[in-house]
Amino acid sequence: VTSSWSGDSELLGALGEALEEARIVPRRFVEAGKAAFTWFTIDAELAALTYDSAGPLGLGTAGAPDDPAALLEAEPATRALPRAARPNPAELRSMSFTSSRLKIEIEIGADALRGQIVPPQRGEIEVQTAGRPHPIPVDELGWFVIRPVPPGAFRLHCQTASGLAVLTPFITL
Amino acid sequence: VSVSEPTVVTLVARAREGDKAAWEEIVERYAPLVWRVCRRYRLSDPDAMDVGQNVWLLLVEHLRQLREPAALPGWLARTAQRECLRLLRSDKRQLAVADAHLREAVVEPDLSTEAVVLISERNAALRAAFGELPADCQQLFGLLTQDPPLSYAQIGERMGRAVGGLGPRRARCLDKLRRNPLLAGFLEPDGTFKGGQP
Repeated sequence: VTSSWSGDSELLGALGEALEEARIVPRRFVEAGKAAFTWFTIDAELAALTYDSAGPLGLGTAGAPDDPAALLEAEPATRALPRAARPNPAELRSMSFTSSRLKIEIEIGADALRGQIVPPQRGEIEVQTAGRPHPIPVDELGWFVIRPVPPGAFRLHCQTASGLAVLTPFITL
Repeated sequence: VSVSEPTVVTLVARAREGDKAAWEEIVERYAPLVWRVCRRYRLSDPDAMDVGQNVWLLLVEHLRQLREPAALPGWLARTAQRECLRLLRSDKRQLAVADAHLREAVVEPDLSTEAVVLISERNAALRAAFGELPADCQQLFGLLTQDPPLSYAQIGERMGRAVGGLGPRRARCLDKLRRNPLLAGFLEPDGTFKGGQP
């Protein structure tokens, strides 16, 4: 066996391993990843999590806004805490998301997620989940109700009648 | 030599502009890495699906802010790892298990996440280079890498070619593969493959 031949065997072995690594991945797993691009938007302003009643430092702690410089290493802006660390479940969890011109406040109840956009104005909220989007109307006082509470990761895309578009980070409750 | 295969930096740049095909190529390339991380934590298929879903949603969310697109595989692996740990922690059966134990409870504990990323990047480059080979080379390599292995006689039969020509053809195809610029970073100066088997 010459050295070049043994190099060939190594290369072929590595190629076999590489092809196998992709072959064992279920196609649904790949397709679900591709479908996530539906939620890529260029137009909307990203709102940062500025308050979470289940925040990392306990009840009523404001979440730190994303540090863009640390994004590669940072925890994603909104991560659910382990159940044990959550406050009394009888209290409603509330969160605020702030962009330069709009604030989205939400409160998570057992039956529904209720929210308001500030300053109050009419518009539409789109609940973006792994599945299909659900458009929810926002009334003239800025109120909206999402029923039931989305079970998995979701984010809210808010489009106001005045033309503002704001997007929250993904939220996992 | 083809240079059509885009780098991850190019793919991220295109996806940021809204190019769906570039996004899909990113997912095709690195879904095996995310899957591999899930498997390290022995997640069931449905749990791995959940983690994968979250990882790609988080990438969509952070796509515009990624400072180092070249480091995307590492970002994906760390995000997948974090989502796996989060899922295991939230699982009632695992509630009392400390993070340190969860971290140690991986398959192949000797292999660090960084090592998994390196192997997976190399594998992605190999698959991309494979995808650029002529069809007959792809067919030959597909047959040569079957498990359990096929004999040359079986391969010759399936390809409708004389067994005697397979050796030289194999060498020619491997040479084409090796000369693909995608693999440049994974080859020793003398042309042998770096690292050998993981």
